[in-house]
Amino acid sequence: MPLELGDTTATLTGVVTVDEVEPLVGWLRATARPRVNLRRCDRLHTGAFQAMLHFRPKVSAAPADPFLATQVLPLLARG
Amino acid sequence: MNPLLAQFLAEATDVLTQVDEGLLQLERTPGDPELVNEVFRAAHTFKGSSGLFDFPELTRLTHAAEDLLDQVRGGAVALDSGMTDDLLATFDLIRGWLAHLATDECLPGGAGADSAILITRLRAPIGGEAAPSATAFRAPGQRDVAPAWLGHFDQIWLGEIATWLRTTSASMRFVRYLPDAGCFFRAEDPLHLIGQVPALERLGVIEPGEWPEEADFDAYACLIGFVLATRAARSEINYLFRYVSDQVEVVDLEGEAILRFLSGEPDEPEMPEEGLARPDPELVADARSILTAALRSLATDPTGGPHLASIAHSITAAAQTLGRPVAITRLDVAALTATATRLLDDTRALDETIMQLEAPAATTDRIPMDQISIDRAGADDAGGPTGSRLLKVGQEKVDHLMELVGELNVAKNGLTFLAQSAEEEFGSRALARRIKDQYGGLHRIAEQLQAAVMDIRMLPLSVAFARLPRLVRDLSRRLGKSVELVLEGEDTMADKDIIEAIADPLMHLVRNSLDHGVEPAAERVAAGKPAVAKITLAATADGDAVLVEVSDDGRGVDPGQVRRTAYEKGLISEEELATMADPDAVDLVFRPGFSTAEQVSDLSGRGVGMDAVRAGVEKLGGSVTMRSQPGRGASTRLRLPLSMAVTQVMVVSVAGQRFGIPVGLVVETVRVPAAELSRVLHQDVVVLRGEVVPVVDLARALEMPWLPDESADRAILIVSVAGRRVGLLVEKFHREVDVILKPMEGLLAYADEFSGTALLGDGLVLLVLNLKEVLGLAARVG
Repeated sequence: MPLELGDTTATLTGVVTVDEVEPLVGWLRATARPRVNLRRCDRLHTGAFQAMLHFRPKVSAAPADPFLATQVLPLLARG
Repeated sequence: MNPLLAQFLAEATDVLTQVDEGLLQLERTPGDPELVNEVFRAAHTFKGSSGLFDFPELTRLTHAAEDLLDQVRGGAVALDSGMTDDLLATFDLIRGWLAHLATDECLPGGAGADSAILITRLRAPIGGEAAPSATAFRAPGQRDVAPAWLGHFDQIWLGEIATWLRTTSASMRFVRYLPDAGCFFRAEDPLHLIGQVPALERLGVIEPGEWPEEADFDAYACLIGFVLATRAARSEINYLFRYVSDQVEVVDLEGEAILRFLSGEPDEPEMPEEGLARPDPELVADARSILTAALRSLATDPTGGPHLASIAHSITAAAQTLGRPVAITRLDVAALTATATRLLDDTRALDETIMQLEAPAATTDRIPMDQISIDRAGADDAGGPTGSRLLKVGQEKVDHLMELVGELNVAKNGLTFLAQSAEEEFGSRALARRIKDQYGGLHRIAEQLQAAVMDIRMLPLSVAFARLPRLVRDLSRRLGKSVELVLEGEDTMADKDIIEAIADPLMHLVRNSLDHGVEPAAERVAAGKPAVAKITLAATADGDAVLVEVSDDGRGVDPGQVRRTAYEKGLISEEELATMADPDAVDLVFRPGFSTAEQVSDLSGRGVGMDAVRAGVEKLGGSVTMRSQPGRGASTRLRLPLSMAVTQVMVVSVAGQRFGIPVGLVVETVRVPAAELSRVLHQDVVVLRGEVVPVVDLARALEMPWLPDESADRAILIVSVAGRRVGLLVEKFHREVDVILKPMEGLLAYADEFSGTALLGDGLVLLVLNLKEVLGLAARVG
C-alpha cells in the first residue's frame, strides 16, 4: 500500500500514483498539523507533490530516492 | 520479479492486442481518424511504460512504430498494407520479447539486430531518420536571452551557476514545462517525466499566482508548472517531452545572460525577424565552440603531427561554417592558434550584428502566471474519474480458489456420512437431523460459492477469436484470396479453460477453410458467387454447452472425393466406399491420416489434420461435426461444455473398486440375464432392440480379477465412444456425482486409461476412466 494515513503522519511508500492523490488531499485537508514520511517513496505523482506544495505538511523523513531527495524535497521545504 | 515489470507484462498483452485489432480494422477502413488515434495512443502507452525499464531496444522499436503512426495520424503518410505488415511484424517481435522478458527479465540476444531492421523499414515511409517532431519547440534557441521564468529558480543557486558558466564560458539548457490542468487524466505525470531528464541540474516549481480556497482545491487538476536546468542534449529533451511539446519551452543560456537577468538589466531581445540575411546563430555557436575547443587543446597538448592535423581540420571546417574559409598551410601550434583566435574574434563581431538585427523583435513569452491560472480554470471541469474499478487477478489465484471450492464440496459431503453414523453408530436420530440441517445450509453456500467462482472464470469467446482476424488477413494475402471474416456472438461466455483450449482448433478450422474451402476470386466469380469470400465464426450458448460454428461459402467438401481418398489411403474398405452415406463420408475428414489437399501447402499441411481438431475438442468433453453443401460451402460445428471445472460422472464399480465414467458418454444402463450375452468372433455381444452391441468386460480390460455371479443379471453400461456404441460389463451401478476432475500427475501421469482423479464425499479417491484408451486396451487384451 503506497499510502498509509495515520493520525498525524502519512507514510508514502514505493510508487505513489494518481490513485493516491485524492485520499492524500482529503487527509491533508482534515489533519491539523500533518506530517509526511517520504523515506521509502520512490516516485511521487505530480498531484501528490502539488497537494503537499499547497498544504505544506512537515516532511518528517526525507526520501531515499535521489531525484526526490535532491530535486523535489528542497521545493517542499522552501518557504 | 520486479512487481512493476510484472504489471507491465500483464498490461502489455492487452495493449498489443488492442494495437493488432486496431491495425486490422484500419486496413479495412483506412484513414478513420478515431482508429488511427486509438492505435497511436495504445502504441504510445506501450512505449511510455516500456520506458520505465531499461530495455532500450524495446523502447527504440516502439518509438519507431509510434513515429510512423504519428505521421499517419497527422495525415502526412497514408497507411498501406506494406506498412501494416511492418507494424504487425514489429508488434509480433515485441510479443516474442515479452515472453522472454517474463521468463528471463531481459531481452533475447539479437534483439538489437532484429529491431534495427524493422526500425529502418518503419522509418522508410517517413523519410529515413526520425522526422523532426520538435516543430513546436522554439526554433534554434542558442541565444543569450534570459526569459522571465528564470525567476522560478532558487535565485542563490542561479547566481552561483551563472558565475560558474561565465567562468567556464559554458552554457546550460533551461526548460519551462507548463503541463495542462487535465494532464493527470491522460496518465501523464509531469514530475515523473522530469525525473527522467538526464543530467538534471536543478528543478524549480511554478506555483499558481493564487491557490484556490482549500475547499475548492481539486486534487486532479494540475495547477503547477516546472522550470528545470539540465545539461542534457536538446534532442534528449525533445524526445522526453515530445508528447507535450506545446507545453515546453527550451532555452540555452550563457552565464552572462543569467547574470544580466539577475541584476535586473533589461533582457536582450527575442528571436530575430524572419527573412533577414544572417548566418544561422546555432551554426555560429557551434563553430565557436569548436574553435574554443581547438584553442584549448592547442594550449594544453601541443604535440604530435596527427593531432595537429585533426585540429587543423576542425578549424577549417568551422571557418567554412562561418563563411570565411581559411587555408592552413603550416601545421604548427603558433599558426593554428593564430588562425583560431582570429576566427573566434570574427564570430564575436558576427554575433553583435545578429543582436542588432534582432533588436526590434517583440517579447512574446512573458505570460504572467495569473493569466495561466485563468486558462486552467476553464479546463478544470475535464470530468471526474470514470468507469468501474477492475481488479486484475492472476489466473492461478482463481484456480486455487476453484480447488478450494472443490475441497469444500468434499468436506461438505463428509457431513452426510457423519449424519449417517450418528444415527447408526450412536443411535441419535436428533443429532443426525441437526447435522443434516447444517449440511443443507452449508450446501447452499457452497453451491453459491462455486457458481461465483465459476463466474469469475468465465471469459467471452472474443478472447478465443482474437487471433483469427490477423490469421485471416495474413493468409488471405499470401494465398491471394480475398476473404471477409465475420464474427458473431463473441460475447458468449465460457470457462477460461475451454476458451484457451479451443483457440488452436479454431485457428486450424479457419486455416482449413481458407486453404481448402475458399476458391480463388476468379473461380468464385465464374461460379456466380461474390469475389470476396466470407468465413463466419458464430458462437451461441446452448444450455450448459456452447456452440461454435465455423462456416465458409467456399467450394464445400465433395463426399465422393473424400470417399475415394479415404479408400486410397486404406481408411475404408471397398464395401464402405460403395455404401457410405454422404454425411458419414464428410465425417471421414476427421479420421487420422486423412488429408484431401492434393498438395500439402505450407498453411494447413503442418502435420496436424482435422483429426487433431476432433481429438482436441473431445479432450475437452466436446464434439465436432461437419456439414457440407458441395459448391456452396461447409460448416464445422464445435459443441463444448460451458465449464470444465465440474464434471458429471457416473460411478460404477468393477471388481469391488469404484470408477467414474463421464456422463456425456453414457447412453443407457441395462441389466440383461447372463444367458442373453452371446459370443460372436471372440467378442461378447448383446442384442439390444435389434442392434448388436459389443460388450467389453471392464474388469478384464483393467486387469482386475473378478468372476461374476453366474446366476445374477449382468449390469451393462452402454456408452457411445467416437460414434460407436459399446457395452461395458460392470459389477454395479452407483449414482451420478459432480466432481472436480484433477489431471493425473506425477507417478500416475503415464496411466492414459484414466483421465483424472476426483475426491468423493466419503474421502474415497475416484479414478475417472478415459474410455477411448480403455477400449483400446480392451482390444489388445482381447
